Amino acid sequence: MSEKVKKMVKITVDDRTIEAEEGAILLQVLLENGFEIPYYCYHEALGPDGNCRMCMVEIEGKKRPQISCDTFVEEGLIVRTDTENIRRVRRGILELQLVNHPVDCPVCDQAGECSLQDYYMEYGLYHGKVPKAEKLHFEKHLDLGRNVMLDQERCVLCKRCVRFTGNIVKTGELGVVERADHSHIATLPGRKLENGYAMNVVDLCPVGALTSKDFRFKQRVWFLTSTPSVCHGCATGCAIYIDHAKTKFEDDTIYRFRPRKNPDINGHFICDEGRLSYKALQENRLREARAESSSIGFEEAAAQMKKMVESWQGRIVVLADANLYIEELEMVQIFANRIGGKLHAPLDAYRDPAFEDAWLKSAMRAANAKGVERLGIDTSMPSSRGEVLLINFNHPAAGDVKARRQIDLLTHRPETFADLTLPIAAWSETSGTLVNEAGIEQRCEQALFPNDPVPTLMTWLEAWDLGERCLV
Amino acid sequence: MREVKIVSRRFDVPDVDRLDVALEHGAYKAVEKAFSMGSEAVLNAVCESGLRGKGGGGAPACGKWKLAAQHPDPVKFLAVNCDESEPGTFKDRQIITKDPHLLIEGIILTCYAIGAHDAYIYIRGEYHDFQKVLQKAIDEAYGAGILGEKTMGHDWRLDVTIHRGAGAYICGEKSALLESMEGKRGHPRLKPHRKEPEWYFGRPTLVNNVETIATVPFIVAEGPQAYRSYGTEKSPGTMLFALSGHVERPGVYEAEFGTPMMEYIERFGGGIKGGRALKAVIPGGASTPVLTAAEAAEARLDYESMKSLGSSLGTGGMIVMDETVDMVEALKNLLGFYHHESCGQCTPCREGTGWVDRIADAVVRGEAEAADLQKMLDISWTMNGKTICVFAPAVSGVIDAFVEKFGDEFQARLRSMA
Amino acid sequence: MGFAFTEENLRELEALAKRYPSKEALMLPALWKVMEQEGFISVEAMEAVAEWLGVSPMKVYGVVTFYEMFHEKPLGRHHIKVCRTLSCALCGQSGVLERLKERLGIEVGETTEDGRFTLSQVECLGSCGTAPVMQIDDTLYENLTPEKVDEILKELR
Ligand SMILES: Cc1cc2nc3c(=O)[nH]c(=O)nc-3n(C[C@H](O)[C@H](O)[C@H](O)COP(=O)(O)O)c2cc1C
Ligand code: SF4
Ligand code: SF4
Ligand code: SF4
Ligand code: FES
Ligand code: FES
Repeated sequence: MSEKVKKMVKITVDDRTIEAEEGAILLQVLLENGFEIPYYCYHEALGPDGNCRMCMVEIEGKKRPQISCDTFVEEGLIVRTDTENIRRVRRGILELQLVNHPVDCPVCDQAGECSLQDYYMEYGLYHGKVPKAEKLHFEKHLDLGRNVMLDQERCVLCKRCVRFTGNIVKTGELGVVERADHSHIATLPGRKLENGYAMNVVDLCPVGALTSKDFRFKQRVWFLTSTPSVCHGCATGCAIYIDHAKTKFEDDTIYRFRPRKNPDINGHFICDEGRLSYKALQENRLREARAESSSIGFEEAAAQMKKMVESWQGRIVVLADANLYIEELEMVQIFANRIGGKLHAPLDAYRDPAFEDAWLKSAMRAANAKGVERLGIDTSMPSSRGEVLLINFNHPAAGDVKARRQIDLLTHRPETFADLTLPIAAWSETSGTLVNEAGIEQRCEQALFPNDPVPTLMTWLEAWDLGERCLV
Repeated sequence: MREVKIVSRRFDVPDVDRLDVALEHGAYKAVEKAFSMGSEAVLNAVCESGLRGKGGGGAPACGKWKLAAQHPDPVKFLAVNCDESEPGTFKDRQIITKDPHLLIEGIILTCYAIGAHDAYIYIRGEYHDFQKVLQKAIDEAYGAGILGEKTMGHDWRLDVTIHRGAGAYICGEKSALLESMEGKRGHPRLKPHRKEPEWYFGRPTLVNNVETIATVPFIVAEGPQAYRSYGTEKSPGTMLFALSGHVERPGVYEAEFGTPMMEYIERFGGGIKGGRALKAVIPGGASTPVLTAAEAAEARLDYESMKSLGSSLGTGGMIVMDETVDMVEALKNLLGFYHHESCGQCTPCREGTGWVDRIADAVVRGEAEAADLQKMLDISWTMNGKTICVFAPAVSGVIDAFVEKFGDEFQARLRSMA
Repeated sequence: MGFAFTEENLRELEALAKRYPSKEALMLPALWKVMEQEGFISVEAMEAVAEWLGVSPMKVYGVVTFYEMFHEKPLGRHHIKVCRTLSCALCGQSGVLERLKERLGIEVGETTEDGRFTLSQVECLGSCGTAPVMQIDDTLYENLTPEKVDEILKELR
């Protein structure tokens, strides 16, 4: 297949000259170049639908304003985005948008990230100016299943959610019913959302009509900090934001994962299981060191580890979790070498064919399986011959290795404690690099800075003075 | 005023919906002629006749036919628009019940000219009884070998299928009609960026009104000049105009374009009911801006005259209102229609039609203030030229004309702010 | 409460399908068959139609609710639809409607207690020249007067 050559042309927008690809969607070009164009129904992943009519601009040579989501770039196009006429159009349409909208922002979960709220503030249509005409009433608390709640009154009928379930996941559970101003979003009576990507509609919804039951009312969005990271749910490595907050009464806490656009991997979306994996990540965390079942201080623990390793006469097996960052794996590799241990990162333990689908979900449920392979780490299960000291860096199948003595470095509390158990920081509390299934490297930033941080894996290895590779 | 019957020429023949009677009166003669002329010649005849669409838009048939005919896709369709839901319009039903074979003949000619082998007649759901008459005629035509594998013995297939709508005015809009025929909600499609045919399941398709198609047999049989000898330069030929409301003899009567409106109303409609004075005429179906009695006196039934009066010819269905009519209530009635019929797809129309309806209701009840009336005009502005289809702009035109021309009546109903 | 097309209806639909470029075109014809068979379109019927067409049931639901003539609930034995649009309004539809309400003892949108009549107002029926009009089931009644309404009701059971 021959790659179509992109032809760049020049267009003029509000007296600025812009280079853009011929045939590109004008709205997308305007947004990418920092022009503020209000819009609801267009979405990069869903394409134009032309129903909200908010994205209008003036095009020289056209008598009437045109929707920019259905205007295509061509050489010499002259565009105006902020004329008096255009502002009047936007104000007029917004006002109509609000005529049946409850304007219940103070109790709306979307407040702070709602296009409608942003626009009506900008266009001076705050309370009082909003029509007092009697509003039509619809369902305000519909449980659509899969953690998605629908408030039909807040809906602006942009159909993004309908197009997502219809054209992207192709399950088609959502649709518009009735017509005229009785139109609203619904599922077939008795049916609910039935796909593993359903919660994306919450992100897609430009207003507070679709909200996440998981996130509803838990935190106001303006308190949240978003840190770019990568989902660890499987080897696809979907780009995400970790939305977290540290409040007066609570330590740094994750409130949600959100998809972060990455055209090469997940586009704009993530699966629900990955999205909700933040919960398990912060539940049941291990925070203290243990010698068998008694709790010990970190210094004491570090000393014991060193002693156990150095005094051991038999074989040493080191296990590494295939979710560790490249930097961590490298350090573990050096460590294993130094102490004469054999390093394994068995991958079979992560295989889950039932999870796999034709879109994002991979059967390999470890974020850095490819990284493990790249580093040449043995991915088979170690044998348990002879007297073995097992040093386990958070591998889920450590229990399957028969060991005489065992040191566990874990993010979460185990069911039974080994001879020595050390807590390590979870991936959200450190930073590093992952290589996804397709070989794409991605950087994860440290999101959480807990008040009492748990030592990182690197910290525990400091006693061996392994060098300056430590970036954490 | 000349008498002329082109489409309605067999309307008064008893039982002409029966094939034998229709044949006796010359039906399907043009088909034989067309096959000897060749498809291109049929297309040219229609182009030369200047035939314009009778479904409301008045688009010249020639351009649309060429777009379909010249498209390289070997599979093409004809969709005949018999949705006829524009208030004040009831002409297509005369054709399908009084002379269904005229329509079938027109369909054969049209399909032959553009190279289509499947035609669908989209008929409004409420016309079920009329649909049966048309279906019987189609069945007879199949039985006689007029339709089917060999059109009248020629090696050329044509199938005609009636597709029943289910109650949605917007499905008369051509792209909504095709969406509906594809098994979807009747949402109009975004306008194309260049001249192209319509599309049915991705295949080039021509959409024409019943009456437009029913005019083709005459043009083919008698030649384009015969058609052009009626009407005006820009509005050639005739149209099935219609009268409803306050006239003595409401009904559908064919007349040539250019006929003075009042002459038509007098001659065919027998004048204003009860000899009362005329107040207003909605000239071409509810969606055309209303004319005052003074404007009606100047108006001629053609595209140019209506345009110069700031209205349009539309479907030619005139709604006549005498001096007793309350124009505020008349507008409220129409806005109720649009509120009910908006497809609900795009914001200005979905929300606007409901809001103006509620305001009009408040004006009728004497509960509106001057600001509310102004709001109605503002909404009308927002609905005009900013939507997916021309439904909303039409509503806007209706509102503006009523409020502008009968402003006193609206002002008189407002609650004073004293 | 399941739904299945009668064999005859199914056969007719299969035959009709051959006349269209895609089976999806049979949405309205199939829903009309359901209406003929049951008088209304239940959720089960929507699911059956969806399966037959190979589309999502939600799509069918969206279509059913878009079109005025499809009903999700059973109506009275006779459905009286009185045109409310301008030409009929100009020619006396209000008197006709009032008479109907009075005789039937119901308001617009209601069904008589004996289940015989449902009364609706509809938009222009394409019979403005013979206004005022109403349609009862498929039959059109034209040039109505309150007196005519009485006669018509007498003939319907
Ligand atoms: C809201 C709306 C309703 C329409 N309804 C009808 C109709 O009922 N019948 C019709 O023939 N055309 C109707 N039209 C016009 C069609 O879109 C289309 O222009 C016409 O069928 C083309 O045929 P013609 O060129 O032969 O007139 C409607 C247009 C709009 C915008
Ligand atoms: S629920 Fe949200 S995404 Fe769906 S149509 Fe309404 S506003 Fe758009
Ligand atoms: S597909 Fe995999 S990486 Fe992507 S969100 Fe789901 S679990 Fe996470
Ligand atoms: S203008 Fe009205 S009828 Fe036309 S597409 Fe928009 S909402 Fe539908
Ligand atoms: S974004 Fe262009 S019409 Fe909605
Ligand atoms: S207005 Fe009643 S039939 Fe047209």
